[in-house]
Amino acid sequence: MLEFLTSILGDDPGGKLAYITNGKHLAWYASLRYTLIAAVAGAGLAVLFGLLGAGLKLSRITPLRWVGNLYTTMVRGIPDVLFLLFFPLAFEHLVEAVTARLKCTPEQLASSGWPPCPDAQWFLSSTEYLIMACVSFGIVYGAFAANVIYGAMIAVPKGQLEAAHAFGFSERQVFWHVRVRQMWVYALPGLSNVWLLLLKSTSLLSLLQITDIVAWAERLGTPNYLPMAGLVHPDWRWKYYLVLFVFYILMTLLSEKFFAWLQARASRGMLRADA
Amino acid sequence: METLVTNPVIQDIITLARPALFNIYFALASIPLGFPLAILLALGKDSTNHLLSWFSRSFIYAFRGSPLFIQFFMFYSMSLALNPTVWKPWGLDWLMLNPLFIGPLVLVLNTSAYSAEIFYGALRAVPRGEVEAARAMGMGKWQVFRTAIWPNMLRLGWPAYTNEVVFLFHATALVYFTLPVINEQKDLMNKAGELFQKDYNVFLHYSVAAGYFLLISMIIFLLFNRIYRYLTRHTRTGRGIKLKPNYLR
Repeated sequence: MLEFLTSILGDDPGGKLAYITNGKHLAWYASLRYTLIAAVAGAGLAVLFGLLGAGLKLSRITPLRWVGNLYTTMVRGIPDVLFLLFFPLAFEHLVEAVTARLKCTPEQLASSGWPPCPDAQWFLSSTEYLIMACVSFGIVYGAFAANVIYGAMIAVPKGQLEAAHAFGFSERQVFWHVRVRQMWVYALPGLSNVWLLLLKSTSLLSLLQITDIVAWAERLGTPNYLPMAGLVHPDWRWKYYLVLFVFYILMTLLSEKFFAWLQARASRGMLRADA
Repeated sequence: METLVTNPVIQDIITLARPALFNIYFALASIPLGFPLAILLALGKDSTNHLLSWFSRSFIYAFRGSPLFIQFFMFYSMSLALNPTVWKPWGLDWLMLNPLFIGPLVLVLNTSAYSAEIFYGALRAVPRGEVEAARAMGMGKWQVFRTAIWPNMLRLGWPAYTNEVVFLFHATALVYFTLPVINEQKDLMNKAGELFQKDYNVFLHYSVAAGYFLLISMIIFLLFNRIYRYLTRHTRTGRGIKLKPNYLR
């Protein structure tokens, strides 16, 4: 047993332990919060946008249906990373344009530079970028969720809706209490796929200047030749990325287990072909 | 004519045409290798050989379960770490550190895992009766595969594979966020970002880049739909793939 441990940990297990629990490494572990917040908040917003998109696609009003279909098809043809970069930049630009109108002099506004005057410049911190990243995840994966939810809403048996109508439920009550209520079971497998996609996209947060787990892995892995700056090591980035690679696989595994449990729970009392 | 050339949208379309070729290159370089590898992995996952099946399953799970972004970083940094001891002495550093090689390499591994899962599903859905009929006619294993399993598998998996190819094309947007940019070798995202840094016109440059992605995605759909029509030419109901985002990656 001891031999096995030393074969893994090497001659100096204490030193290794000290290394992986030093301040920088603790900051790395703590930066996981960005990933988790973006995943959970993004998923919540995606379901919200998904419900909205599915509602539009199901609408009786033709232009609204067009808007819903345009939303879901556009996201399909454009990479998620483009949205992730575009949305925060566009939002920042719009806010700056509004503040420029309020704060800058007309002469400054006439100049071609951007922003027109220093007062209009909006510096975004990690928190603001994180919020915007969540919103862009919500928009992008909301389109995928809209397709899933739209399919699930159609899958709700017609008889149940008719029965509710026959009981005197209003149009709105049928929609919320029967259709949306029953839809979740049919939507769950598809939503689980959307969640897995979203989870993997959270690795892109470092593109928005957020020091997330990927940015930290890059920092910790770069070769260090100064004994003053800590342990001297060559280029270890591949080790850190390997850890992230395994981390994401484990997160996927965990998510799949969770959704399997949820599916089993949600479909209690439902008739199944294999039951 | 004068106004047409100075129109910022037209100018952007012209400037981004060459970068678009890099995205097309990455996709075109990965599909011809990714497709056969995916078929092999799908057959491997279905194999009765435990070792082969285990390997294929783990490969598919690992590459589908982790972000492509991390895979790019990981393979590139591994290649960098191997450089002083392996690539340099062997005189391979010009190749193994070149984004034009590493990029497609990682994309091939990634897309083959996703496509293998698609074709594995299709393989499981091949009608049993046809396979049994082929066997009953006295065909050998290879003949059964060639005449009964392969055409069915391809036809059943094709709509989802089309979707995967579109996703692969979108994934090429990540290449130059992770790998070094050499000289003017820039893709759409990279060039759009560079144009944005010059005049901060986020709406113009990113919209034109998005337009290129949309356009090329549509072309992929049309091309693959043609192939699907050919694959289903014997069925009367083969109406082609609907241009609808029904599938998830």
